[in-house]
Amino acid sequence: MSFEGLSKESTEKRRSLLESIYLWEVVKGLAVTGRHLVHNIFHTGDMPTMQYPEEKRVYSDRFRGRHRLMKREDGTPRCVACQMCSTYCPADCITITAAEHPDPAIEKYPATFDIDLLRCVYCGLCEEACPCDAIRMDTGIYEIAADSRDKFVVDKEFLLNEQTRGTR
Amino acid sequence: MAKLTIDGGAIEVADGTSLFDACRLARGEALPHFCYHPDLSIAGVCRLCQVEVEGMPKLTIACNTAVRDGMVVHTRSEKVRKASQQILEMHLINHPVDCPICDQAGECGLQNQYMAYGLYDSQVTQGDKVHKTKAQVIGPEVILDKERCVLCSRCVRFCNEVTKTGELGIFNRGDRAEIGVAPGQQLDNAYSVNTVDICPVGALTSRDFRFQKRVWMLKSADGVCAGCATGCNVRIDHEAGRVYRLKPRRNAQVNGSWMCDEGRHTYKAVHADDRLVEPMWRGQAVTWADAKVRLAEVAAGGFALVVGSAHQALEELCLLKQVAAGAALSGGLAGSDMGVGDDILRSADRTPNRRGLALAGFAEHGAIELAALIRAAKGAILVHGGDPAAAPEVAAALAGRQDVVYVGTHRRATAQAAALALPGATWAEKAGIFVNRQGRAQAFAQAVARPGQAREDWRVLAELLPAPAAAPGSLKVLREAVRAQLALDVDLDRLPADGALTGGEA
Repeated sequence: MSFEGLSKESTEKRRSLLESIYLWEVVKGLAVTGRHLVHNIFHTGDMPTMQYPEEKRVYSDRFRGRHRLMKREDGTPRCVACQMCSTYCPADCITITAAEHPDPAIEKYPATFDIDLLRCVYCGLCEEACPCDAIRMDTGIYEIAADSRDKFVVDKEFLLNEQTRGTR
Repeated sequence: MAKLTIDGGAIEVADGTSLFDACRLARGEALPHFCYHPDLSIAGVCRLCQVEVEGMPKLTIACNTAVRDGMVVHTRSEKVRKASQQILEMHLINHPVDCPICDQAGECGLQNQYMAYGLYDSQVTQGDKVHKTKAQVIGPEVILDKERCVLCSRCVRFCNEVTKTGELGIFNRGDRAEIGVAPGQQLDNAYSVNTVDICPVGALTSRDFRFQKRVWMLKSADGVCAGCATGCNVRIDHEAGRVYRLKPRRNAQVNGSWMCDEGRHTYKAVHADDRLVEPMWRGQAVTWADAKVRLAEVAAGGFALVVGSAHQALEELCLLKQVAAGAALSGGLAGSDMGVGDDILRSADRTPNRRGLALAGFAEHGAIELAALIRAAKGAILVHGGDPAAAPEVAAALAGRQDVVYVGTHRRATAQAAALALPGATWAEKAGIFVNRQGRAQAFAQAVARPGQAREDWRVLAELLPAPAAAPGSLKVLREAVRAQLALDVDLDRLPADGALTGGEA
């Protein structure tokens, strides 16, 4: 790249006398602020700000929130511990240990099923990989906050429990 | 020699070669197959390896056809492709296709071959598949899923031909045919997990490895089994610093395609709770820096007795001899680590490198002799590997001495008896060479990281040399020194894949 031919002069526009005094420009700026203030006082519904958490945004049904594990009719987890989700997971946030199921008709079950919600990128590939529709991200839960890292690692019981919110 | 044409290319092979092997050579990859196995008899039951031979009225299976001079063979023609597709379709009629929960998925013959030759748009219309017994425990090591079986009969032939125990058989006929053990019997021979290895599908699974890891997550390193003096070539499958299983690697000169069940469990010692993971000074864990200070106190005047072990690699033993610098030498306890041998693979000698120990110039001693040597030592004693203090005579001789240095992997009797115990690496955590019972030097590679503060043994020994400045800078340099020391005419850093004989009696 050559710098030849480029002007060495500043491209900044020269200020007029009024502009260089500043005071007039400050008054103009305050007028804009004042106009919005008066408008918002009389038209509160137009404000983009939401009164969270009293007021919450409505998301699409397809919104991917915190995961949950589905149950069979008998209440046991639908998961068969095939580890397709943890294989597919780009964030490597799912840890499953499989164990022999007492019923020989069922090959194996997840002895543990942990998701590290801090590592999760909410891409939804685990849902897609699951051959049993055992993991879903349809809870709509997005308020995932805790005061220590280990509370973000949620286990099988937590994910199966429909009452749980956010983190542990 | 027979000259034949395979897929348009000319190839010359020895008379009597099977067409299957000739095709593998010509194509660079094997024909699709289930029942063929290089170390078992030909069964010809899977019908997958069919090829077109000009002059023959129908397709023929390559595994059971010997090459003939002037044969013209097509393995990639439309006719052959269609035949493979249809045969695979037949194999799948009653296969459960439960790949996500099947332990074999990822290393499954049916899966891989269907990806390559499958007829994706199935023509089979039928109701329910034939259901058979699932997850049946048929022995201490093996679980059988009869539904997944494709009846290739490899496991049956293995039990008949290799172990000659004949526990397995095929029962019933037609689509009810199934693999099974005879009533009241169990698959409990010493080589039973080989049936799991050769099972091309997930019908036979190892109870030890079952569900531990999906196979695609595993990484592999080429190792040599340290369980006995046979030195079976193994593949160390590991992930995240943990060894999950050992699988045999084919070496026709040593172990064929097999290894024993006992050898497969040797990886457990690598992750045992009693591993020595930090330097210990009189039972207290210390840092390496402190350990070096203590070492200088204990062994200020060098060592008066150096005890090696048949569990250590050849390079380490040669370096140990340099550390000894003329001090009394012992190869450890004679007759230690003996077990039951057989005429298939297992040696009664359960150490991996007793030939290497002799080659490096160490003579083993009986417990009483070794105890006498220890009592006679007028200076520090260095014990490298093994556990000589397991013998009460040796333990009694070591008791009370404050000048014993042990380099090893586990906190067993010798480590407890030593004033200073330094953590070394197991066979899975270092590279090295074992000399097996045939006198064959075989190299093994490092699979996993060493735990805690453990170091490669040769680096620990290098610090103990009388002149540490002369220590080898790398394993390659050390191997060159070993080659010169033992006057071997092989490059120890690049041993052939099937090992190199080091001479001496077989």
